[in-house]
Amino acid sequence: MKVTRYFPTLLALPVFCLQAQSDFSFGEAQQMLTTYCAACHKGKTALAKFDIERYQTLNSVLAEPRRWTTVLNRVRDSAMPPKGSPAPSLELKDKFSNWLDGTLRKSACADGISPGLAFTRRLNRSEYSSTVRDLLNLHVNAGHALPADGAGGEGFDNAVETLFLSPIHAEKYLEAAKTALGYAVKEPRSRKVFLNTAPGAGLTPEQAAEKVLAEFLPRAFRRPVPALEQQKFMDLFRVAQKRGDSYDESVLYAMQAAMISPHFLFRVESANNGREPARLNDFELAARLSYFLWGSMPDKTLSDLAAEGKLQDAAVLREQVARMLKDNKSTEFAESFVEQWLGTRELGRDIKPDKKLFPEYYDEEIASGMRYEPILFFQEILANNLSLLNLIDSKFSVLSNKLAKFYGFPNKDLRQQPKHYDLPENSRRGGIMTMSAVLAVSSLPNRTSPVLRGKWLLDAVLGTPAPPPPPNVPELQDNKAGAPPKTLRERLETHRQNPVCASCHNRIDPLGFGLENYDVLGRWRTEDSGKPIDSKGVLPDGSEFDGPDQLKALVLKKKELFLRNLTSKLLGYALGRGLTLEESCTVDQIIEKLEKTDYSAHTLVNEIVLSIPFRYKAGTVANLPVQYTETSNRD
Amino acid sequence: MSKFPISRRTLLRGAGAAIGLPWLEAMAPAATVKQVNPVRMAAMYVPNGMLPSGWDVQGEGKNFELSPTLTPLQDFKDQLLVLTNLWNQASVGGDGHYVKISGWLTSTTITKTLGVDISANGTSMDQVAAQKAGHQTPFPSLELAVAPVTTGVDRNVGYTRVYGSHIAWSGPTSPLAKELDPAHVFERLFRAGQPQAGKAKQDKLLLDRVLEDARALRQELGAVDKHRMDEYLSVVRSLEERIERASRPGQSKWKPRVKLDAAAKPAEVDPKNYADHVRLMLDMMALAFQTDSTRIVTFMFNNEVSNQNFSFIDGVKIGHHDASHHQKDAEKQKQYQLVNRWHVEQFGYLMKKLAAMKEGDSTVLDHSMILFGGGIKDGDRHDPHNLPLLLGGRGGGRIASGQHLVYPKDSPLSNLFVSMLDAFGTPVERFADSTGPLAGVLV
Repeated sequence: MKVTRYFPTLLALPVFCLQAQSDFSFGEAQQMLTTYCAACHKGKTALAKFDIERYQTLNSVLAEPRRWTTVLNRVRDSAMPPKGSPAPSLELKDKFSNWLDGTLRKSACADGISPGLAFTRRLNRSEYSSTVRDLLNLHVNAGHALPADGAGGEGFDNAVETLFLSPIHAEKYLEAAKTALGYAVKEPRSRKVFLNTAPGAGLTPEQAAEKVLAEFLPRAFRRPVPALEQQKFMDLFRVAQKRGDSYDESVLYAMQAAMISPHFLFRVESANNGREPARLNDFELAARLSYFLWGSMPDKTLSDLAAEGKLQDAAVLREQVARMLKDNKSTEFAESFVEQWLGTRELGRDIKPDKKLFPEYYDEEIASGMRYEPILFFQEILANNLSLLNLIDSKFSVLSNKLAKFYGFPNKDLRQQPKHYDLPENSRRGGIMTMSAVLAVSSLPNRTSPVLRGKWLLDAVLGTPAPPPPPNVPELQDNKAGAPPKTLRERLETHRQNPVCASCHNRIDPLGFGLENYDVLGRWRTEDSGKPIDSKGVLPDGSEFDGPDQLKALVLKKKELFLRNLTSKLLGYALGRGLTLEESCTVDQIIEKLEKTDYSAHTLVNEIVLSIPFRYKAGTVANLPVQYTETSNRD
Repeated sequence: MSKFPISRRTLLRGAGAAIGLPWLEAMAPAATVKQVNPVRMAAMYVPNGMLPSGWDVQGEGKNFELSPTLTPLQDFKDQLLVLTNLWNQASVGGDGHYVKISGWLTSTTITKTLGVDISANGTSMDQVAAQKAGHQTPFPSLELAVAPVTTGVDRNVGYTRVYGSHIAWSGPTSPLAKELDPAHVFERLFRAGQPQAGKAKQDKLLLDRVLEDARALRQELGAVDKHRMDEYLSVVRSLEERIERASRPGQSKWKPRVKLDAAAKPAEVDPKNYADHVRLMLDMMALAFQTDSTRIVTFMFNNEVSNQNFSFIDGVKIGHHDASHHQKDAEKQKQYQLVNRWHVEQFGYLMKKLAAMKEGDSTVLDHSMILFGGGIKDGDRHDPHNLPLLLGGRGGGRIASGQHLVYPKDSPLSNLFVSMLDAFGTPVERFADSTGPLAGVLV
C-alpha cells in the first residue's frame, strides 16, 4: 500500500455550486441574523448560548462548523425563528441557507475529507434474514418474527443511529436460531454447506465437530476465528454430548450460541485507537461491501479476497462491484434502497388505495408488478451500467404482462415475471416519476393529491423537501357551506392567495399538477369526474410546463439537484448512517465524476465504494482528514 | 386444593350465617392462593386526534352524558373516568405529530433529529412501572401494535419517523419495539405459562456463552459502540433472568392465573384486514392480563400521521390522517368522527372482554386501569390542549370511576401518571412536570 502524505491538501472544489451562493454576502447574512435572531440570541443572556455578536467575521463562523450546521438545519426546517416571531421571507431564508450551506461545505472540503468513526451495528431485520439464508443455504425467512426497524440518517432502516435493541429481540433471536437450524439440519442442500462432516471413518465426534465449526464460525462471524475462541463453542458441543444429545444436536447447540452471539448479530468494526484515520481491515471492508450491495454476508470470493489482502485494491474493488451488481442478490439491495428512497414500501401497508374505487390494485399480479417496477428498473440500470438520468426519463421500463396491459401497452411477449420492456412512442411513461407505485404512494386512498405528489417530488427527486406547514394552521381552507363546489385546482389557488401558504405551496402544487393526468393507481386519464385535466404549472422561478413530459424535461434541467439527492441517499445507505458535513464533500466529488462519465451507474457505486468515508475509520482525534494521495491505487 | 374453587355466592348460600367469616383461600382460583388480585395497567394510543365536537362531554362529576363519540361505552359508564383539560406542556411546538405521540407517556419533548441524538428525554410511565414491578410476571411489559414502524425519515419537519411509531420508552434513547402478530403473542404467553426447566437450563448456558462474548467484545469497541453493546448485554440479561426463573419453577412465586389452551391460538392475520387485526391483538391483551403473564401493556392502534383506510366503516371513504384535516368541512368531520368512534368501540370491546373474565368475585376489569386516548385533540389543528383521555377499569378499587373530571385548562397529564403509578403499586414522588397526584382520580 503506497501512501504519500501531504497536507493541507486543497481538493478540487465542487464544480456544482448552489446558485444562490454568489448573490449573498456575509454582510447580508449578518443583517438577517440581526433582524430575526437578535431578540433571543444576542449578548450574555443569549438563548442556547448562541450569541450572534460573537460572529463578526466569516472566519469566526467557519471556526464553529458544527454549531452553524445546527443553525442551518433549524432555519431550513423552519424551527427558527420560532412560531410567533417575525420570520424572514422564504426567499431570504433560502438565500441565507444556501449561502451558509455552501460556505460551510467549501470550508470543510478544503482540508480534505475526514471519515466517520467505525461503527458496530446489529443486522437489521432483512439483513438478518438474508444472512441466515446464506449461512445455512436455507430458503426460509428466518427474521419474519423480528420487529421491523425504524429509519434514521438518510432515511434507511440500516442506519446505525436507529438500530435499537429491545428485550423482545433477544427472545426472537434465540427462537429464530433454533428454528432455522432445525430446518437446515433436515435439508440435504443446507447440510452440504454448514454441516458436511459426520463422525466415523476415523473421525471421532469431537474431531468432526471441530472440523464443522472451523468452517462455520468464520462464516458466521465474517472473519477468521482463532482456535481459542472456537474452543468456547466446542465446550457447548461437549456439554450437549455429555447430556446424551446426538452428534447433530450437539453441533446445533454450539451453532445456536454462535447465531445469538454479538459477533454474528452485529457487524463488528473494531475501534481505531490511533490518532489518524485508518483503513478498515479487509474483513470489515468485505462486510461493508456485501451488506451494501447484497444486504447479506460476504460470499466465498469476497472472503477469500479479504484473506489474501487483495480487497483494498481499487481495481479489485471495481471488479467486485460489477460482479456483485450482476448477482441476483443485488435485487435485495435494489429493493431495500429504492423502496425506502421513494417511499413505496408503505404501499399496501399504511397507504392502500380504496378497494371499492380501485379494485384493480387488489389483483395480486398488478399490485406486485407495481411494487417491483421501480426496484427492477433501478436494478436494470445498475446491472447494465446505464445512465442514472434514466431515473428521470427513460425509453424503457421493467414490466409484467398484467402491468403492461394495465398501462395500456401492447404485450410484446411479456409474462408474469417482469422484464425489460421498450416503451412505445408517446407512451407518457419512462422514469420513476410516472411509475404507478410512486403515483399511488403519493395519492390519498380515494383521490389524487397534487400537494402530496408535489411534496413527494420535492423530497424524493429533487432533495429539497418543503418546509413544514406552520403549526396549527389548516393545510387547506375549504368551501364555505352552501357555496358551489370548486375543483381541487381552484381550491388550491384560493389557498395560495394567503401569502403564508403561498410561499411553500407555490413550489409544491404546480409540480403535483404536472402529474394530474395519472389517477390514484397511475393510469393515464384526460378528465377527472367529467372535467378535463389541466396539468399546466408555473414554478416560482417562472419556468412553465404543460403535462408530465415537459415536467420531466424541467426536472432534467435541474439534474444537479437530483444527482446530489441520489448520491447523498446512496452514500448514506452504503455507510448506514446520516452524512456529516465533510461527507457532503464526498458527494460533491462523486457528482463531478458522474458528469464526466455520462452519469454512469457504475461510476456512482464505484466512487462510493472507493470513497474515504466508505473505506476508512476515524482515529481518536476528531475530524482529521485522510492525508494521503493514492493515485496509483485510485485510478 | 380443589380444582373448582367455590364461588363466594355458593359459600355464602351454603353457610347461611357465615357472612362475616374471614376470606377463605378456597375461594380464590387455584393458582392465586395467598395472592391478592394484581393491578394491571395498559395504555392505548389513537393517532391523529379526535373531533372535539364529537368527543367533548357535557356534565361533571357523576352526572355526565356520554358524547356521540363515547356512546359505545354506555355499558361501562361506571367503570370509566373521562378526563378533560389535561395536556403535555412539553409537546407544544416542534411539529404536528411526532412530538405529540412520543411524549405521550413520558411528559417530555423529543429531540429534533433524523436519527443521531434520538431521545425522548424521559422514560414512559409504563416502563417506570415495569422497571419497578416487572419482575413479578414472566414479561415485565408487552408492547403491542398492528403497524410496523413507518418507513423513512420526515425531512419536511426534520424528525425520524421512529418517533411517530413508539409510545413506550425504557429510557430516553430506547424506544421499545412492538409485537405485531397476535399468534406470536399467543405463543409467548403459552410458553411462559408452561416453563420447561430442562430447556430453560440449556438456554441459560447458551446465553451465558454469548454474554461472555459481549463483555469481551465491549472492551474492543469505541465509546458509542460500547453503549450499543451495553444495550445488547441488557436485553440478553433480561432474557436470562426470565429463563432463570423458568428453570426453577418450584421456587417461582408466579403461576399463570389461567392455563392457556393451545387450541385458542389465533389464526394468521390477514394484513389487509385492519379491523380483525386490532380485535385479535386486543384479545391477546386480555389474555395476557387474565393469565397474569404481564401487568403492563401498551397498544398502538397505529403510528402517528397514519392514513389508514377506514372504508370498512359505513360512511367513511377517506383515510384517517386525511379525515383528521377536516378543514371544518362537515362531510370530512362526519367521517373523522366515525373513525374516532370506531376506536372507542374497540376500547369498549376490550373492557367488555376483561369484564367477562372472572377473578374471585370480581373481574379482571375491576383490577385494571386502561388509559385510552392520544396526544392530539383536534387533528385539524394538531391541537395539544385538552387531550382526549379516558381511564377504564377500577384499578383494583383505587380508581374513582364513573365520573367526568374537569380540570383547570392546561393541567399536566403527568399528574395522572403519578396517580396511576400509585394505584399500580409503584408510587413516584414526581413524574416529569407533575405537580402532584391528579385530584379526584384515586379513591
